[in-house]
Amino acid sequence: MPDTNHFPAESEVSRRGFLELTFGWLAGIFAVCASAVGTVRFLVPNVLFEPSLLFKAGKATDYPDGSVTFMEEERVFLVRQGNTFRCLSAICTHLGCTVDRADHGYHCPCHGSVFDDQGNVKSGPAPRPLEWFLVTLSKDSRLLVDKNQRVNPDKYLVL
Amino acid sequence: MKAPPLKKIWQWFERTRVGRSIFRVGLPQSNLERAQAMVSSFLLHIQPAKVNRHSLRASYSFGLGLISLYLFLILIVTGVLLMFYYVPSTEQAYNNMKDLQFVVSVGLVMRNMHRWAAHLMVIFVLLHMCRVFYTGAYKRPREFNWVLGVGLFLLTLSLSFTGYLLPWDQLAFWAITVGTNIAAYAPYIGPKLKYLMLGGNVVGQEALIRFYALHVIVLPAVAGFMIAVHLWRVRKDGGLSRPDEPGDTIQQIELGKLPTNKTYGLMELARGMTPQVGRNPADEVFAWPHLVFRELLLFLLVVAMVLFLGIFWNAPLEQLANPVHPPNPAKAPWYFLGLQELVSYSAFWGGVVVPGVLVMALLVLPYMDRDRKGVGRWFPRERVVANTIFTVCLVIAIVLTTIGSLFRGPNWSWQEPWKRPPTVTEGR
Repeated sequence: MPDTNHFPAESEVSRRGFLELTFGWLAGIFAVCASAVGTVRFLVPNVLFEPSLLFKAGKATDYPDGSVTFMEEERVFLVRQGNTFRCLSAICTHLGCTVDRADHGYHCPCHGSVFDDQGNVKSGPAPRPLEWFLVTLSKDSRLLVDKNQRVNPDKYLVL
Repeated sequence: MKAPPLKKIWQWFERTRVGRSIFRVGLPQSNLERAQAMVSSFLLHIQPAKVNRHSLRASYSFGLGLISLYLFLILIVTGVLLMFYYVPSTEQAYNNMKDLQFVVSVGLVMRNMHRWAAHLMVIFVLLHMCRVFYTGAYKRPREFNWVLGVGLFLLTLSLSFTGYLLPWDQLAFWAITVGTNIAAYAPYIGPKLKYLMLGGNVVGQEALIRFYALHVIVLPAVAGFMIAVHLWRVRKDGGLSRPDEPGDTIQQIELGKLPTNKTYGLMELARGMTPQVGRNPADEVFAWPHLVFRELLLFLLVVAMVLFLGIFWNAPLEQLANPVHPPNPAKAPWYFLGLQELVSYSAFWGGVVVPGVLVMALLVLPYMDRDRKGVGRWFPRERVVANTIFTVCLVIAIVLTTIGSLFRGPNWSWQEPWKRPPTVTEGR
């Protein structure tokens, strides 16, 4: 009579069965997750064909003292006061419209948000102040704006 | 009785070798053939051979789901035709629109029909949802079909929204700018979702091609599949909802409990409520011609309505998209204007909390509200609480949308539509 003691009972899982189940499921889950991650990652662009976030804004002498210059392509205002330079985003923090220069500050034509000269919200639905970007000087003495770097409104480039 | 000449020709054609090869059953002459005609035809077999009289009553369903389906079909046909002229490029798209308007024969009407059918589909899907709610039709065993319906409603909105950008005019550009910025208010994933949708930071070529791909293949394919499942479930859940009658049973055969040592016919395995179970045969009529005829008639009416709108009203086309000069006011598509109105008070509540809670509430509704009283009747007394809550939400949504659409002028300030808004000069 054959000895059946070392065979597992029907409800038990054999070592081989356990390993097959574990690795089978792990492989399956991994395949699904990897495909999902790959698909989403595929859809995230690596190169943007839009105006660069880092751009040169010309020479300091291009901007007269006390001027606020709107730059269409980059949708920013370049602000010069005396020998200080700052750069303010022209994109409304409410729903992304382009703000206009008003007498004392800025004004969003879409939903009526009003900002003061420092970009702070004076009235309207905008939840946050307009953003200020870092202005530095490039090696060839041009103003260099970096829209990736947000700064406080009291940060100036002094020339 | 003498058959009319057209019918004679048809009957002759049916008897020819070719006719017999195409139509398995000819024009039905008997009840047997009426049933056979429904069952043996690919297009008709989606429907039952016999339907309950209650389901045919126009004052019960108003055909709203069917109208939505027909609008979807019209949108596919007109949309595919528009694709023959449209190039999803920021350089060309707007010119293609002008070509459709002024150069292509019937191009204007085709685009108008597509636009109006899209707006109508949003409206009719919403009305269909209201009908299902007010008649309690989402209750057991139709809970999941309601969930599918909520998904189809969201898909309808997405389809319309993605199509909005394609003309690449000022209306399109700023509606999508505003719309995607509303989405960006969602916590954590909002900005990433916006970046993914636009394929960048601003609405540009990448956004256009993405919206195009979603609009012409991804979303229609998903919607088409879900509509198929939605219709399948209507059949499998026992046809249109109707009041419970004595003798009605919801059969829930648990497959695991059947003996497994025999084979079963399909009718033994079918689960759920079928139109025939426990029913008085006098309530049933043959789908041919009662249902088929009504459906054809409704289809003609819907096509006529869209054609009428397309011929007499032109879809808007504003100036070429200009990222520097937003129109004043800049508005999202009308079905999002209720949200935009809320966002103008509080971005977080209007952009995140309210839409999120509403969608969640709609999804869990059939699983929370489980009492089967009052199913299959309009505004039943037993459902007064549920109906009141739903109506209040609906009225608020309609009021907010109306305010956003009609009562908001330049600077999003209050403006009665009957007072002519001051002319806004373009540029500075």
